[in-house]
Amino acid sequence: MATEGQQHPIKIYFLIWLLLFVFSFFSYLVDYLDLQGNLRWFLIVVFMLLKAGFIVAIFMHMKWERFALIFGILLPPLALVVLMFLMAIESNYAWSSRVQYMGEDPAPKPKPPPHMDHGEHGEDKDH
Amino acid sequence: MATVEVPYQETVPLHHPKTWIGKYIFSQDHKIIAVQYGVTAMAVGLVALILSEFMRLQIAFPGWEWMDFFTADHYYQAITMHGMIMVIYLLTAFLLGAFGNFCIPLMCGARDMVFPFVNMLSYWVYLLSVIILMVSYFVPGGPTGAGWTLYPPQTITAGTPGHDWGIATMLISLAVFIVAFTMGGLNYITTILQARTRGLTLMRMPLTVWGIFIATFLGLVAFPALFVSAVMMLLDNFLGTSFFMPAIVSLGEKLQYSGGQPLLFQHLFWFFGHPEVYIVALPAFGVVSDLISVHARKNIFGYRMMVWAIVAIGALSLIVWAHHMYVAGMHPSFGYFFATTTLIIAVPTALKVYNWILTLWRANIRITVPMLFALAFVLTFIVGGITGLFLGNVIIDIPLSDTYFVVAHFHMVMGVSPILAIFGGIYHWYPKLTGRMLNDTIGRIHFYFTFIGTYAIYFPMHYLGFIGVPRRYYETGISDFYPQTAHDLNVFITVAALIVGASQVLFIVNLVHSYFNGKKAPANPWGANSLEWCTPETPPRHGNWEDQLPTVHRWAYDFGVPGEEKDHVPQTVPRRKAS
Amino acid sequence: MTDTTLSSQESIFTSTAKDWSSDMTTFKGVPWGKAMMWIFLLSDTFIFTCFLVGYMVMRMTVTEPWPVASEVFALTVWGVSVPLLLIAIMTFILITSSGTMAMAVNMGYQRRKWAVFWLMVATAALGASFVGMQCFEWPKLILEGVRPWYNPMGAPQFGSIFFMVTGFHGLHVSVGVAYLLIVAIRVVRGKYDHTNFEIVEITGLYWHFVDLFVVRTEA
Repeated sequence: MATEGQQHPIKIYFLIWLLLFVFSFFSYLVDYLDLQGNLRWFLIVVFMLLKAGFIVAIFMHMKWERFALIFGILLPPLALVVLMFLMAIESNYAWSSRVQYMGEDPAPKPKPPPHMDHGEHGEDKDH
Repeated sequence: MATVEVPYQETVPLHHPKTWIGKYIFSQDHKIIAVQYGVTAMAVGLVALILSEFMRLQIAFPGWEWMDFFTADHYYQAITMHGMIMVIYLLTAFLLGAFGNFCIPLMCGARDMVFPFVNMLSYWVYLLSVIILMVSYFVPGGPTGAGWTLYPPQTITAGTPGHDWGIATMLISLAVFIVAFTMGGLNYITTILQARTRGLTLMRMPLTVWGIFIATFLGLVAFPALFVSAVMMLLDNFLGTSFFMPAIVSLGEKLQYSGGQPLLFQHLFWFFGHPEVYIVALPAFGVVSDLISVHARKNIFGYRMMVWAIVAIGALSLIVWAHHMYVAGMHPSFGYFFATTTLIIAVPTALKVYNWILTLWRANIRITVPMLFALAFVLTFIVGGITGLFLGNVIIDIPLSDTYFVVAHFHMVMGVSPILAIFGGIYHWYPKLTGRMLNDTIGRIHFYFTFIGTYAIYFPMHYLGFIGVPRRYYETGISDFYPQTAHDLNVFITVAALIVGASQVLFIVNLVHSYFNGKKAPANPWGANSLEWCTPETPPRHGNWEDQLPTVHRWAYDFGVPGEEKDHVPQTVPRRKAS
Repeated sequence: MTDTTLSSQESIFTSTAKDWSSDMTTFKGVPWGKAMMWIFLLSDTFIFTCFLVGYMVMRMTVTEPWPVASEVFALTVWGVSVPLLLIAIMTFILITSSGTMAMAVNMGYQRRKWAVFWLMVATAALGASFVGMQCFEWPKLILEGVRPWYNPMGAPQFGSIFFMVTGFHGLHVSVGVAYLLIVAIRVVRGKYDHTNFEIVEITGLYWHFVDLFVVRTEA
């Protein structure tokens, strides 16, 4: 058993390689263009899933595995989807109660990193 | 398939060790590893048992001068260590490490686990985690006293015993345990999926293997959450990060933490913690199903239902975790979701209980010691499960939270029940493991003390919970508002606990005594069908089988088949052609 | 190859049901080591995702400002500040290493040992340079005052999460580099000649997985 391996034309690897760069470029673009809000997260997640999908399917050969293995590996992470979804709701709730009951600032402006504000560099301000 | 497949293990020779150390200490034989796991787990379980006796003495006789050495700190440390040891280092390690190692290769008709070396490593890393845990009694400040749930912020704020060193040893020990479990668990799953013998389909496997299979799988996906929360809490404690620590004033001093989310720990912990309940329960279900079927001489009722119930429980257990957190201040509407999923999980569980009872229905029941424990398991599990239905509902849970009702519930359902299943399993498989029978009389005495004793301990606790006695209290202080019966019951429970604890000595005496002087066991003393009773030798030698692995022709539950000579037909017997 | 061709003719559900209800092996034609590696990766997915859930919760609950990633990870090249350049380079390196790894697996099944060796060494070298870049990135942030417990730009959780997740990932990469080198040497020494070089694929699985998570840990 298990004597046949996975053999595919090398062409497809180059194709995927290229594709991954394209996706990386796009998600890089999202940051570069400084998209904000839901659109930003939506795009980042979409590109992330696309890249992950191609790596798993082609580089890790899942596309050529039997479906017994594919289902076995891809179904359990659904539990993680539930966890993420519920934790997102929970965090929203925690955040809103912090804003509502503890008087926290709902839209604070981040300070720029030290190397951007041309001020003192690398000042060790921690305790 | 055009080609005839041969189990891979038949083609590769097993490497037999030459030295005594290779055979018995750094052994790669799954049976020896099972014994090592079992003995270690029992030893550490005894520590936890003794801790619980100290706690009971303190609760029953607060202010008794003999117990003066047992301070409040000691009490909380005992609670924490008792819980953690029992849940993880005893039950998980015993049911998966010992039963898993012993049963899986034998019941799957394999020579050994797929990677025996990794399997051996798994045991030694587990031993390391136990040692680290025990070391916490010798570090400055002693072990952590935060309760086994280790909720921040109190776990790592001053005032909690062992908030600096103790919590570190605890968390490191847990992380090491997870590494050990992962090594073992990968082996178990791969063995079950890829190393079964000829003819053994998944739907012919004994339910024990099914229970261990799904439980191991749950462990592999649930322990990561514990691992992550352990890492984050270690960082919180030692690097001063604020993952779980909000801005907080402790002992009049403002700490440096800010902006952490304590509920995240609870979510991650219970995302592990609830599947953990089933990691413990599912193998117990499986073992008990087999015991009942064998000792009642009847096929298990609804085998397919039983399998799918195990799978369904496993899947559902990953989405019910926050029912442990109804009073934690999480999102208010989570209660709907988690109460619903919790009550849904009762359906497959109840189905299993019905099937056990229907297996017993008009069966040829033999009241052997393993059967006694199996029956006791079913009874205890019903009691614990029904109180679980109470606690699964938000509205009933809120007044009962943190009372003795909860203590009674989880001890019944995931403390006593799996322990009873473990005892039953040991009495059942000991002859195969050692070639000697356990002493029947001592076994019966041990059973009645344990069974009746645990009811004497935990039944009154339901009542204590209803009148509102809180759990985890060192002493209740001015407690005139509790009726006198509460105090009397506490004394009664403690006496019962001492008797039950002492009666476990009988069990250990039995194990040791029978190993040397027990009756010689026949190859198949209970008349069971599954593969482990078909080995050519008893106890099975390294490699378990002859040159050829056995061939399976039927399921493991052919008892009392009409037209057969014997009342049981082992799995290796070919099916007769239909005439 | 019979198995793979069969599966293209049956519906996916029939083939799944058939495999799961067959005897001996459930994953047909999958060696033990590969099955084990897949299951391990499943478990590791849960670890990484739990870390990322931690990141998400931190990000969503803190009320202190979260630093802007594109500014923090900017590199000044020829006087121009290019946002996220460092992360872009690191992603590039790891994706390239994934490519070389995939080639190595392919060569393995053609039994070209030296090609496998050099491709795996190249992969390991790329992985090592990834860790090297991390060694560049960490001091940069530390010099800017970011600590696991403190962050001059706002929420301290930014530093905590960053160091924890990248540290954990870097650990995976380092382990992967060692693993790659060991397997590469053993391949050349002929330790796997009697097998079909599945070990290369198993190593590859681990490596691609590590690669996969750099994709997820950025931003």
